[in-house]
Amino acid sequence: MDKRLIPLLPLVSKPARYTNHELHAKHKNWTDVAVKVALAFPDIYDVGMGHLGFKILYALINGRKDALAERVYAPWVDMQTQMEEASIPLTALESGQELGAFDLVGFTLQHELSYTNILKMLDLAQIPRRSSQRSQKMPLIMAGGPSAFNVEPLADFLDFVVLGEGEEVIHEILDLVIDSQAQNLEKDELLQKLAGLDGIYVPSYYQPIYSADGRFQRIEPLRQGIPPKIEKRVVQDFNRLPYPEEFVVPYVEVIHDRVIAEVMRGCTRGCRFCQAGMVYRPLRERDPEVLKEQIARLVENTGYEEISLSSLSSGDYSQIGPLVRDLMAEYQGCGVSVSLPSLRLDSFGIGLAQEIQKGRKTGLTFAPEAGTQRLRNVINKNVTDEDLKEVVQGAFAAGWSRIKLYFMIGLPTETEEDLEGIVDLAYKVLAWGKEARSAKRRPEVSVSVASFVPKPHTPFQWMGQDSMKTLRAKQRFLKERLNDRAIQFSYPRVEESFLEAVFARGDRRLAEVLERAVDLGCQFDSWTDCFRFERWEQAFRDTGIDPHLYAGRTRDVLEPLPWEHLSAGIDGRFLRREWELAKTGTPTLDCRWDDCTGCGVCPELQVANVLVKEKSSE
Amino acid sequence: MSNVIRFQFTKGPEVRFLSHLDMVRTLERAVRRARLPIAYSEGFTPRPIMSYSYALPVGVLSEAEYGDFGFALALDPEAFMTAYNEQLPEGFRVLRAEELAEDAPALQSTINAARWKVVLPDQDVAQEIKARWEELQGLDSFVVRRETKKGSREIDVRPFLFQVEGIVHDSTGTCFECLCGLGNEANLRMDELGALLGFSHLEALITRIGQFRRVGNSYFPPLGSRDSL
Repeated sequence: MDKRLIPLLPLVSKPARYTNHELHAKHKNWTDVAVKVALAFPDIYDVGMGHLGFKILYALINGRKDALAERVYAPWVDMQTQMEEASIPLTALESGQELGAFDLVGFTLQHELSYTNILKMLDLAQIPRRSSQRSQKMPLIMAGGPSAFNVEPLADFLDFVVLGEGEEVIHEILDLVIDSQAQNLEKDELLQKLAGLDGIYVPSYYQPIYSADGRFQRIEPLRQGIPPKIEKRVVQDFNRLPYPEEFVVPYVEVIHDRVIAEVMRGCTRGCRFCQAGMVYRPLRERDPEVLKEQIARLVENTGYEEISLSSLSSGDYSQIGPLVRDLMAEYQGCGVSVSLPSLRLDSFGIGLAQEIQKGRKTGLTFAPEAGTQRLRNVINKNVTDEDLKEVVQGAFAAGWSRIKLYFMIGLPTETEEDLEGIVDLAYKVLAWGKEARSAKRRPEVSVSVASFVPKPHTPFQWMGQDSMKTLRAKQRFLKERLNDRAIQFSYPRVEESFLEAVFARGDRRLAEVLERAVDLGCQFDSWTDCFRFERWEQAFRDTGIDPHLYAGRTRDVLEPLPWEHLSAGIDGRFLRREWELAKTGTPTLDCRWDDCTGCGVCPELQVANVLVKEKSSE
Repeated sequence: MSNVIRFQFTKGPEVRFLSHLDMVRTLERAVRRARLPIAYSEGFTPRPIMSYSYALPVGVLSEAEYGDFGFALALDPEAFMTAYNEQLPEGFRVLRAEELAEDAPALQSTINAARWKVVLPDQDVAQEIKARWEELQGLDSFVVRRETKKGSREIDVRPFLFQVEGIVHDSTGTCFECLCGLGNEANLRMDELGALLGFSHLEALITRIGQFRRVGNSYFPPLGSRDSL
């Protein structure tokens, strides 16, 4: 760590976030390697340390003799104040080197409300925000992650962007950087070569064109040989990908502080609101034997007390039952538990949950997402009222007493009836809980209702978000009705969802707003305590940009969209078809069990779904 | 015998900013990595049988932390020490270990005093600290306001400071050692020690160098020599 921070540590909360020296942190000698990468997470240590993508990249980069990777997190507000007072710039955890000393600084884009933190971290590192203002000697600022599929609001700040899976392309990037050092290439020559790699987007080589009335028209490559469309990267063989043998084991409590096994990548359920379900396709399952080996090594090297089977919907993994049973048999005796982050809404899911939670039964969470069958058909969440009844009754009968339900409001075609459906469902769940005599404690239902944010590369990407006024009225409608003491109702502020919608479908003109917002003190926007909407309102006013045009306007399906050159392999015709089917409430089935839905990913990227085979019954 | 091993360990500069809970989690994970046969409590949610001496304030170093680990079978203390040290992260180090007698009292009940080494880096205040200690010796009480989770109250901390000695100024700054009350009954906090002697605990480098059972003017450590200090 940076020794200059030591005198500040007694003055800040949770100082061990900044002290480094965790088990398996890699301290490589700076003179022994050619290329130095800072993996920069735009939130605090406690959040960033749980991120699997960076664990994978950290292991891959540090696994090379000629490269090193170090970690950088946003310091919490109290530490920022101390650092600014002492004029200490942002440094990496391992070596304490300033970000400006690295060759590459890579940010992960997990969600739109983290964008201000990226600018704030550049500010703290004393690196100019805009790529055009950075000198030859400054590091290249890169980014990747799900929000890279519409990176346009950040385009002016980033030197290059990686679309899709990073495990293979990271090596290609590092090789090019090393070559460019050997050949003494200018920054622009290196960027030109990077732009030639599949999946790499160099924003400064493109220029958006807007019409006189301010609508986005198209984006044009500014040079010869620059691809008009960038296709995301998908790894060759998910099963054979290297996986970290050790995780850095933090001292302070962080999220997802456990062994994480990635059982599956991608999801083909096809929920029409879900961006992850679209951009991570195709679906690939990891062989259970490979998983068991990876888990054994990680348990041995970390000493973690919990193994989490992670993916977008781990309950759907073909071999989930046998895998869970094998892991329980192997680890139960040595105080290591198994957890599933997402459960299936059926009796199979309950059986699995029962097996895992042998001891105390705390809460179970389900996500019906919408209050009526009609609306669930619209969003293609293929769960029936019957499923829900069976599973919730099963859960109460098995001894659970607290059920958490996730819903969204502001979904396309929503009516008052659908809101009443949420209320009905909450009371029904409570009634099922009261009927189940075996429940030892009083049943409790918690209902969490998010405001829907239309996301790029989904069938709802054209849809205007409900106005904040409408969303507030819907929240009030629910609040007035969900007033039973046994029902706990929670809902995030509509302002946060509004801002997310603006940036999710934003274009490059929002760069100015971001800069202004950071100047006005906006950061940590996903932290309710730090979110200051009035500052955002001022930033929009000051820059003369109307946020409602981004969030609330329903686009015509033929209107050009600012993210269409950033391809996740999904065919626009598929999205339009799904949008039409949604309006008529027609479900689309899951291509892992049923017919191909024509989403385009497999032919476009020359990939296929990979399911693990059933074990032979002998 | 009891299958309980009592050991003394350090908390070095690399881990001085860990909270007590951070330390508990870290030491538990190291037990699992070392594959030591820790015993578990009975009940709904079995917990490994591991207990510690009084929590060290965040930021303070120690050469004398103590732990009691219960095992499922009898372990050789030397073998435990070797295996555990191999898995402990930088900054934690077991210095000595002994198997506990069946009827030995719990760790915390054998401790009511601590010896602290205080370094005030780049400060030359040895004379002031000496004068202050002279003055304090003539005082029967010294009342401070103590903030707790339950609110704040006035408390006389003078009886909790037993001795200040070795006050010197050298190349590192001003150094001295203090014997103070520790635990539930006569606890002296570091900010209160600072208030008594007139220094800022946030600027000091403090090390806990001993924990004892104080009987009259004798001090008995929880491990090793039964002789008094």
